[in-house]
Amino acid sequence: MATTKLRVEALARRTVLSAVAVAAMTVLAACSGTTAPTSSGAPSGTLQILVSSADASDAAFKAVNGGFEKKYPKIKVVFSSVPNASYAATKSSRLTAGNVDVFVVNSFRELPAFAKDSSSDDVLLAQSGGLLDLTKQPFMAKYTKTVLDTQAIGGKQYAVPTGLSYATGVYYNKTLFEKDGLTVPTTWGELEKVMSTLKAKGVTPFGIGGKDIWPAGVVGLGIVAGEYPTAADKAKAVQSIWKGTTKLTDPVPEEILTKTEEIYQNAQPNFAGTGYADIPTGFAAGDYAMTVDGTWNAPVITAAVGSSFDIGYFPLPGSDDAKNNALLNGKIELQLAVPANAKNKTAALAWLNYFSTKSVYTTFLTGSGFTSAQPGIASTPFLDSIKQYTTTFEPGWDSVWVPNTKAGQDAVYPFNFPAMVPLGTSTPEQAAQASQTAWSAAF
Amino acid sequence: VATSFPFPRRSPVRVTFGIGLAALTVFGLVPAVAVLVVSFTDLRGLPYLPVDWVGIQNYVTFFSPAKWPDSLNALRNTVVFAVVSTVFQIALALAIALLLNRPLRGRSFYRGVVFMPTILGVTVTGLVWSLIFNVNRGPATSLLSLFGGRSAFFGDPTIALALVIVVQVWMVLGVAVIIFLSGLQSIPDELSEAANIDGAGAWKRLRFITFPLLAPAITANVLLSIVNALQSYQLTYVLSGPSNPATQVLSLLVYVQGFGGVSGTAQLQSQGYASAVSIVQFVLVGVVSLIALRFLRRREARL
Repeated sequence: MATTKLRVEALARRTVLSAVAVAAMTVLAACSGTTAPTSSGAPSGTLQILVSSADASDAAFKAVNGGFEKKYPKIKVVFSSVPNASYAATKSSRLTAGNVDVFVVNSFRELPAFAKDSSSDDVLLAQSGGLLDLTKQPFMAKYTKTVLDTQAIGGKQYAVPTGLSYATGVYYNKTLFEKDGLTVPTTWGELEKVMSTLKAKGVTPFGIGGKDIWPAGVVGLGIVAGEYPTAADKAKAVQSIWKGTTKLTDPVPEEILTKTEEIYQNAQPNFAGTGYADIPTGFAAGDYAMTVDGTWNAPVITAAVGSSFDIGYFPLPGSDDAKNNALLNGKIELQLAVPANAKNKTAALAWLNYFSTKSVYTTFLTGSGFTSAQPGIASTPFLDSIKQYTTTFEPGWDSVWVPNTKAGQDAVYPFNFPAMVPLGTSTPEQAAQASQTAWSAAF
Repeated sequence: VATSFPFPRRSPVRVTFGIGLAALTVFGLVPAVAVLVVSFTDLRGLPYLPVDWVGIQNYVTFFSPAKWPDSLNALRNTVVFAVVSTVFQIALALAIALLLNRPLRGRSFYRGVVFMPTILGVTVTGLVWSLIFNVNRGPATSLLSLFGGRSAFFGDPTIALALVIVVQVWMVLGVAVIIFLSGLQSIPDELSEAANIDGAGAWKRLRFITFPLLAPAITANVLLSIVNALQSYQLTYVLSGPSNPATQVLSLLVYVQGFGGVSGTAQLQSQGYASAVSIVQFVLVGVVSLIALRFLRRREARL
């Protein structure tokens, strides 16, 4: 009797467990099937967009998405914005799962023959057929040819360049400069004078968000722009470092570190503990007179400052020759690609086409703060104010430099900014020696 | 019937044991073996990219002259983090547990307060301490300025690791205290009373009764703390970023290599290399844990 009862209970348990399992599988199947795989025909279904986050560009993308959904009511845009530090991991998992239709590719340029092994994952992805070839898409013709040329892989186009940014400039408090009788410095010597004058008046010259490390590296990018002003100069320097004819302890690389360190010495106390996101607030509060930052952050800085004072922007003069400091150095901003395994290619292409139309793209640029990658697009007042520094597009060091994946962390940039006081514990000479050691050990 | 107590039949035991074993195999053993296999490849974790067998190349790279300074720095930080946080955690937890084991008004409330950081989780803990050590207007900055001092706290390479250890100890202290408390409560009061009658003072009762009988709890706490500290990277990541050499521990190196590259550079992510680093870390955790276990067991037997 007891045995029969146990059997009945066991049967009941099994039935309940089976029902739960079937229900769970049904729910999971339902969850994974929300996107209609529409690779042809009228765009519809869900469009998954993945970007690396920045406040200004995120807001601009959301505005584009809103307009797109109105134009294509059958498409639901799912927009994911992920912090830079975790973007690669998110991209990897979502590409593997096949649930992204438009995403940002990084370090997307063909490398010179001597550094082929350092090609980025996204370049390898394009070369392996993992990205949709956009070369013949009509919307690609709207973008500036020279910009497209710099991102061509094997002569083909795989990404839409959302814009350009300049990273080697300095935001300054125009009102304070005028009050103190200071003019925009055009040489390194003049910048040194500006820094000492400000200090003498009790004003901290620079604000740097050193806790995130890379903003302190942006200072270095500005100095490099003065030392190697043209794209050809930079390419030559990269090649000579790779071939070993230039050592990272040679006078020019060491001077880059020495000048960068001098700016660190003129930054706010304990800047190594200040986050990048805190800088606009400190600048707006008058805690410092200048901050080295990219044009991508202009909307955030402008909003933080409001009407408190006037803002200006000038190229960080890393050289003693004003000619070498005349232009801002920049990079192609977020480049959008479509993976070959995208479930909704039709919607992805429709979105890129919509994004590239003149009115939508103009609105995007206004919100993001990017400079146009299309010819004939009206600029924002801020970008208009720096036109004299952007007459020719000069790529920044980060767009030309090719890191060696076999080298240690001291040679990543390869100028070893993070090792210097106060981010690290080294002098410029020690930092240069460490980067040279890390670099040469990789060959 | 007596042999199958507390179950009337063996099948429920087999089924429950089988489910546990299957879960461990699927979610523990298989991934562990997979990581070992992946460590011999150049897997990058992206579709369409070929995966090649590279033998021991990833291990050679980890110990190569170019990478060794970074590897050594991460190894050194990991060991310092584990040893210092374990020592402080055990000492503090033991002191607090002894205090909270005494008759005390509001004892349950204090126990709750001590345990509370454990349930906050890494992100909330990181946020709380980032605010406390905010260099602009944080309470620690204000306090330090009263004495004319200033610091970049988590941005200062000379003290960043020490501060992360402080936060780690604060966060995990509650669990250690609970384990010690349960150990203390299992010690019969009669032993202390008898020793008291024999004239043993507080220190002698602690040295010759409490410590020996608390030895299993100390073993459990030390082992848990060492393993936890050797594997921890989340706090370091939240408090001082993913690529700060001053606080880079092995687990963080695995994370950066496997899931992010170095932000702001073209440094690539490589899950093959990350797997090799995680195997090195596994060996380190295994060796240290075994040595600690052996030492603690011998000590238990001596006591």
